Amino acid sequence: MTTPDRDPAAAGAAVYVHVPFCRSRCPYCDFNVLTGAGAEPQARYAAAVRAELSRVAAAGPAAVAPSDADAQCGWPVFGSVFVGGGTPTQLPAGDLAALLRHVREVLPLAADAEITVEANPEDVDGAYLATLVDAGLTRLSIGAQSFVAHVLTFLGRGHDSGRALRAVASARDAAVPHVNLDLIYGSPCETDEDWAATLDTAVASGADHLSAYALTVEANTPYGVDVHRGAAAAPDDDVQADRMSAAEERLERAGLARYEISNWARLGAQSRHNLVYWRGGDWLGVGAGAHSHWRGRRWWNTRPTLRYVEQVHHGWPPVAGEEALDDATRRSERLLMGLRLVEGVPRAAVEPVDEAQTARMVDAGLVTDEGGRLALTAAGRPLADDVIRRLLP
Amino acid sequence: MTYPTERIRNFAIIAHVDHGKSTLADRMLQETKLVEGRMMRAQYLDRMDLERERGITIKAQAVRMPYTAADGSEYLLNLIDTPGHVDFSYEVSRAMNACEGVVLLVDAAQGMEAQTIANLYLAVEAGLEVIPVLNKIDLPAARPEQVALEIASLLGGDPEDILAVSAKTGIGVPAVLERIVERVPAPRGDPDAPTRALVFDSVYDAYRGVITYVRVVDGWLRPGLDVRLMVTGYHNEIDELAVISPEPKPVDALGPGEVGYLTAAIKKVELARVGDTVTEHNRPAAEPLPGYREPTPMVFSGLYPMDSDDFPDLRDALDRLRLNDASFTFEPETSVALGFGFRCGFLGLLHMEIISERLDREFDIPLVATAPNVKYEVHLDETQIRPNEDAVLLVSNPAELPAPNRIARILEPVVDAMILSPSEYVGAVMQLCEARRGDLQKMDYLTEERVELRYRLPLAEIVFDFFDRLKSSTRGYASLDYEPADMADADLVKVDVLLNGEPVDAFSSIVHRDKAYEYGRGMVSRLRELIPRQMFDVPIQAAIGSKIIARETVKARRKDVIAKCYGGDVTRKRKLLEKQKEGKRKMKSVGTVEIPQEAFVAALSVNAD
Repeated sequence: MTTPDRDPAAAGAAVYVHVPFCRSRCPYCDFNVLTGAGAEPQARYAAAVRAELSRVAAAGPAAVAPSDADAQCGWPVFGSVFVGGGTPTQLPAGDLAALLRHVREVLPLAADAEITVEANPEDVDGAYLATLVDAGLTRLSIGAQSFVAHVLTFLGRGHDSGRALRAVASARDAAVPHVNLDLIYGSPCETDEDWAATLDTAVASGADHLSAYALTVEANTPYGVDVHRGAAAAPDDDVQADRMSAAEERLERAGLARYEISNWARLGAQSRHNLVYWRGGDWLGVGAGAHSHWRGRRWWNTRPTLRYVEQVHHGWPPVAGEEALDDATRRSERLLMGLRLVEGVPRAAVEPVDEAQTARMVDAGLVTDEGGRLALTAAGRPLADDVIRRLLP
Repeated sequence: MTYPTERIRNFAIIAHVDHGKSTLADRMLQETKLVEGRMMRAQYLDRMDLERERGITIKAQAVRMPYTAADGSEYLLNLIDTPGHVDFSYEVSRAMNACEGVVLLVDAAQGMEAQTIANLYLAVEAGLEVIPVLNKIDLPAARPEQVALEIASLLGGDPEDILAVSAKTGIGVPAVLERIVERVPAPRGDPDAPTRALVFDSVYDAYRGVITYVRVVDGWLRPGLDVRLMVTGYHNEIDELAVISPEPKPVDALGPGEVGYLTAAIKKVELARVGDTVTEHNRPAAEPLPGYREPTPMVFSGLYPMDSDDFPDLRDALDRLRLNDASFTFEPETSVALGFGFRCGFLGLLHMEIISERLDREFDIPLVATAPNVKYEVHLDETQIRPNEDAVLLVSNPAELPAPNRIARILEPVVDAMILSPSEYVGAVMQLCEARRGDLQKMDYLTEERVELRYRLPLAEIVFDFFDRLKSSTRGYASLDYEPADMADADLVKVDVLLNGEPVDAFSSIVHRDKAYEYGRGMVSRLRELIPRQMFDVPIQAAIGSKIIARETVKARRKDVIAKCYGGDVTRKRKLLEKQKEGKRKMKSVGTVEIPQEAFVAALSVNAD
């Protein structure tokens, strides 16, 4: 069996740190979050994450992927650290900074590693960000979601649109090199004009990276329950398709290039971290519910925060489950992740694919099949999942 | 013990579903001390689970009850249970031919129902003594005087003379038994003539072969006797001769007037059909008993396994059902859209429902059933007849109807329908019947509140949802009975449904020309809701021949992508895609259009207007 072409150097290795705390749960969100935790449990959680990191780092790659030949050579250099949530900025700046420093202490990070922290607009000011920059922060990802008041209200966000802009300004003042804004489109109350205004404001803010996600109905969320009961409208697929085109058009015109289905960036500002996921790289995930992938083995941590803390406290591995991927599954995953990228995937990494369907998709103008790479066209991107289902053997 | 014929009383109970026939039978078993109270279970005589659950009797049975009458004499009462629904009217008539009298049991709250009246007419035609009985007189809603009047207006006689019972509590049941002894004539038959026994039911049993229920008319049956079935020609020695009282009890002989069952290594019920005559193989009767009729399927539907891998299992299941039910037919057919399946013929709608339910319950094979239809007689245009082709074709699958230009005329089956309705709903009933191309034959007021309407209706117009419509437009009060009348000319056309230009055979239907547009529009708009959006626009068209009569479009899907893959949980995303892909694999493809099974089921099961 040949291994899929995975050039670890190209795909890279990354660290993901999950911070589950949120001030309140947004009605549409089904992420692993914990609301209302006080300072003391938060501090214990931060300590648990540092402990888990230390242990994983000390055990080395042989412990997480025993069958991998490279494991004997120790950890490769990590190109990215991403602290996501939840809301990492619920932690005091000092705790978060300590966490960033700790990663660098226990694992080999590249000198120019991308160090991202997700932030809520209302949590960050100049002093907070200065502390993080001092600890190595290179990228701030702000959950702006929208710049239109009634859309923010619908999304249950606690900030007004001005707050997100001030957060971007603070990041600039604190000399954070890169700033991303997360946006959500297609809320039932949002109009075409609302979305256009949000895009224009985001561009004007000076952020060099934008993630624009279609609002998705998740079953076990307040919004999902309302939709199920008929108390709230579900987003309309056609409207969302229109919004996606609108984003494409406005952002390209403003000089932000799309490089993934939901992501746009200025030259050199693509998220290295997300590219690791999409290119089939390796990553260590630490914290409650975090997922990891290392050389064909996936595992995931205990989701409930308090139990996670407990397990780490007792010195037990906080792992809730794992999965060893066979070659065919790795190829399927490469296809389903890689095809989301504008650059597409090397055929050699994903073959065999359903060739008849591939030819049909090329004829239909949804896929390109050139230079040994498969990629979605602009028309194919909104239909990515359907195309991927067809291409899978 | 054998009884002299003058001490035998053979009778049946005629009642509408839910009017308490099985309860009355239970009470008779107790009253004649055949079943002890503590051994009693509800609906003792109904063997099949399906019957017990639905509260209806599909298979007739017979039970023998020795009874000491008030005058101190010993009598033998044979209760012959009859099916209660129009689909089985032939079986009902055979069961009645095994009797000399009937108890007409009417719910004192509900009054007469169409099926009861239809069966009552069968009894009167057969010359049986009719003993009317009002049931459920203990119910607060009972109106015994009025219902007695209804009965008297149908039967003649004095309303005062009608017995009143509560089968539930047992009140009045002894009087019913006395009246049976008093009024039902004793059977007559020639003990010395060659044996003739009427088959009034046959039930398949995996261990003993077919259990054939018989009423001896002339001569004798004995274990070991070599008997022949006069219609099918099957002959064999009797293995087991028994009566049911109320459990099977072997007997040495059955003579004139007696009722029981025999087994003779009969492999399928087809060989011992209801209405056939059992005679002695070596000393056969000259003539069979009159009235045998081949069961004729009237309603047809294609049954297809949801999963084509189940096809052999479906065939086995249908074979097994047929062992037990000679009146249902099936033959293999193929559908472009649905794959391999069977065109099945049923006596009527209830029969179809029962078979589908049994397939589901006993064999657990998920099925797609095409909309029920009837059998058409198609006369080809003389200039259009192909070599070796008959001039008249019988078409039970709409997809097989020849092109319009080849057809000279089409005949469809029509039925004589009887509808009983409270008079306040007569308008609604007439409106419904007229919308279904009905022709009013007769209208009688049984009482001021109850009307009997007789319509001649195309069978095709009632096979789909007529009964449900009738019920809903009369708050459930109207009842329906019908019997096949004959074949009649009709201006019929085939409406095809095309997806992306390709006809989908399973959706083709033969309808009256005046309704073709309505049918086409309905089908097309329903499919537009049911067919998921595809990668391209899918036109849905209804057509008569090459003429498009309705059109809708399922617009191409524009978005199908998960927005975000968070926290690196690739496993979840992959599993979701795999599940979706599996769902896609189960879709039926018509050309390039993928249709989920559920859409087929929904499109075919929703009513046509």
